[in-house]
Amino acid sequence: MKRRTGAKAVAIAATGALLLSACSTSTTGGDGGDGDGGMLTVGTTDKVVALDPAAAYDNGSSLVEQQVYPYILAYKPGTAELNPSIAESADFTEPTKYEVKLKDGLKYANGNELTSSDVKFSFDRQLKIQDPNGPSSLLGGLKSVETPDDQTVVFNLKRKNDQTWPGVLASAAGPIVDEDVFSPDKVTEDQDIVDGKAFAGPYTIDGFKFNELLTYKANPDYQGYVEPAKTDTVQMKYYSDANNMKLDVQEGTIDVAWRSLSATDIDDLGKNEDLKVHKGPGGEIRYVVYNMDTMPFGAKTDDADEKKALAVRQAMADSVDRQAIASQVYKDTYTPLYSHVPEGLPGADEPLKSAYGDGEGGADVAKAKKTLKDAGVKTPVELNLQYNPDHYGPSSGDEYALVKDQLDKTGLFKVKLQSTEWVQYSKDRTDDVYPMYQLGWFPDYSDADNYLVPFFYDTDETPSFLANHYRDETMNKELNAQSSIADEGKREEALKKIQGQLSEELPTLPLLQGNQIAVSGKDVKGVDDTLDPAFQFRLALLSK
Amino acid sequence: MSAAISEPGVEAAETSVAVKKPSGGGLGRYVLIRFLLIIPTIFILTTLVFFLMRITGDPITAALGGRLTKAQLAERVHAAGYDRPLLVQYFEYLGNLLKGDFGTAVSDGQPVSSILLNYGSATVELVFYALIVAFVIGIPLGMLAAYHRDKAPDAALRVLAILAYATPVFFAGMILKLVFGVFLPILPVAGRGTTETEYIMSGVVAPTRFYIIDAIRIGNFSVLGDVLAHAVLPAIALGLLTAGVFLRLVRTNLIGTLEQQYIDSGRSRGISEYRLVTKHAYRPALIPIVTVMGMQIALMLAGAVLTETTFEWKGLGFKLAEYLTARDFVAVQGIVVFLAVIVAVTNFLVDVIAAFIDPRVRY
Repeated sequence: MKRRTGAKAVAIAATGALLLSACSTSTTGGDGGDGDGGMLTVGTTDKVVALDPAAAYDNGSSLVEQQVYPYILAYKPGTAELNPSIAESADFTEPTKYEVKLKDGLKYANGNELTSSDVKFSFDRQLKIQDPNGPSSLLGGLKSVETPDDQTVVFNLKRKNDQTWPGVLASAAGPIVDEDVFSPDKVTEDQDIVDGKAFAGPYTIDGFKFNELLTYKANPDYQGYVEPAKTDTVQMKYYSDANNMKLDVQEGTIDVAWRSLSATDIDDLGKNEDLKVHKGPGGEIRYVVYNMDTMPFGAKTDDADEKKALAVRQAMADSVDRQAIASQVYKDTYTPLYSHVPEGLPGADEPLKSAYGDGEGGADVAKAKKTLKDAGVKTPVELNLQYNPDHYGPSSGDEYALVKDQLDKTGLFKVKLQSTEWVQYSKDRTDDVYPMYQLGWFPDYSDADNYLVPFFYDTDETPSFLANHYRDETMNKELNAQSSIADEGKREEALKKIQGQLSEELPTLPLLQGNQIAVSGKDVKGVDDTLDPAFQFRLALLSK
Repeated sequence: MSAAISEPGVEAAETSVAVKKPSGGGLGRYVLIRFLLIIPTIFILTTLVFFLMRITGDPITAALGGRLTKAQLAERVHAAGYDRPLLVQYFEYLGNLLKGDFGTAVSDGQPVSSILLNYGSATVELVFYALIVAFVIGIPLGMLAAYHRDKAPDAALRVLAILAYATPVFFAGMILKLVFGVFLPILPVAGRGTTETEYIMSGVVAPTRFYIIDAIRIGNFSVLGDVLAHAVLPAIALGLLTAGVFLRLVRTNLIGTLEQQYIDSGRSRGISEYRLVTKHAYRPALIPIVTVMGMQIALMLAGAVLTETTFEWKGLGFKLAEYLTARDFVAVQGIVVFLAVIVAVTNFLVDVIAAFIDPRVRY
């Protein structure tokens, strides 16, 4: 009797659970939004560090900032061309004065007016707070901010005609925040920002669960350059495991998966007829850094010989097959990089393609052999190559195993491959422990300058980020000069000249350029419009 | 690992009924002693966690070492007081703990106490679901095995029990995800709810943070269904181990009870074996379950780290894994100490309940 009752209870409970489950609605099913624009759900594995722009300088936080804060300048979708956004106009009025006229009637979602005072406040506070996780270092070129009237802002710059400044205004350092909500001298709490509705971007934040879910609502008062949001409500779901995101986009639980599915997952999802894999140029680059002091024949080795060291670098450039790495390891989610500046940016060139290997991007062992022989280098050359397994994704091991394989197979090199975890790695590399090693880079702003100056401009006052002992006074002058050339054509020429020189000296060996990749349901529109050289994922362009 | 840990627990509980003798001490004295034992337990754990975490250096260098320059690191280390003598830091940490201040996570700046508050409920909820799974699977099957003692069903169920508690939680989770997420996609495999549910829950005023309670409270059956659907797979993954333990425990104790004299006299009166099992013998056989509950809950909390990570169940285990990856020792320390307190308190409560039910344990 009791047994029957128990079985009945279980059956009732199970049926109840199933019925309740059946009641639950699909996230993406139909129009869940408040208005005509409907609702979209986007997944990502990028984390948010903080909603306060002064305290965050990472992909996840920048993504949020780009949706909810106004910028003085914004990129034209599909290009790396900057245009006034909340500004009516923005340009140099004097070599060190960059003047901005704001549009009329700008306001935040909380009703506060957005004036020049907010702009000054936004930049001043970043410089004051100088949070180590923040982007204040990008404002190194800023001397002061003036506000002659409510609509006018004058940026006094340290360098004349600083052509990187517009890029900085559109970067992680550029969001304009509400001075009535944000603290002038310390980082403002996430919840205070959300509660204060301090937003004037295409979207406002309607709900926020830290690194779990963020709900965007279209901002009807948005007056920036990017067109008004096409979808009323966008839910951003945060994953820690890309596999779960893959399953969800596959099942239609989310509409778009944005960063960072593995190459294998992308390849697999590409075969799904209900999904579309979108690819666009990406700002990430991967490269080998040579320590000019400790690499074979480096300046501080027992057999120091500048010519031989250069020959080793050039022979390596002759021997690597970038396309093979991109295809075999990354399933073409990365593309070969033949310059120190990635493809898609104004001024980008491909000097390494013709200068090394078979002249078409492939490897050429005979050429490498000749290069070494001409320099009098005995082969095989022993190379100690380091990579990091925990910072640049799980495929770094495969990437560098293939680099080793390619170099070893030439018979010219004998590669000893080693890996070190990130904390130690980042310390060791600047302590001259590694003769040659892996690094990667995401841009601070979309300008060739950001791939050149931090790496190759090296003085006692401003040491390079690489700290690899590459110092060339001519290069320093050219890098300094290019940033002040107002004529776009002339500046591009200068940038190409620099890339040409770098391709001869090879202080680093560029290998790959990462694509921006998103996977969406076939009914989602606008994804391709935002995968451009601006490297910004603009939710406002998405709809279905 | 799980089998090795669970097995002695089973045996201890199995034998406890026979070994323990009635004592002269009262329940009050027993409860007081058990309560007082919590304090040194937590103190030792806290001390161990603190010093073990500092073996590799200060938390700021560990969390941010790869991202800041040497000068920036030194400045932050000094500002946070991590360059002071370790003992000074330790006593300050203890003092702050007594005030309920667990510190601030280095990697994301979140106060650890708010992490505990926001994510602790999810873990408790998951453990609750897993316990239900353990009870629903373990007890009836244990009774069934005892009923069919030494016959084929008994052998099969014993193998099943061994499999259940020998299978690592993450492996069970992966298999469940593969089956119900890929081959037969009928159950959600990630999160505590859909984005709609999460959105609704984020807006629930003064929530308990227990989704099932909040869903009932706001009377939204769609959300309730969604919450339950999302709980099925993680609860099974986490509950299987304990279900295996319960199955063996119930079987062994039921068999022992069935050999008691009063059961024999029941048989002699013509009462069927089925009725003896389900009406007369099962109650005393269930008592030892209470005595192993504390340890099982501790094991579940440990297993929650893997289960929550596998199923994106954003509880304390999930956050612990995240902070470990970020080498955020302040957050890890806070969560581990908090979990230790929960385990100690749970063990205390379970012991008190066991002593209340069965006076023989008050030895």
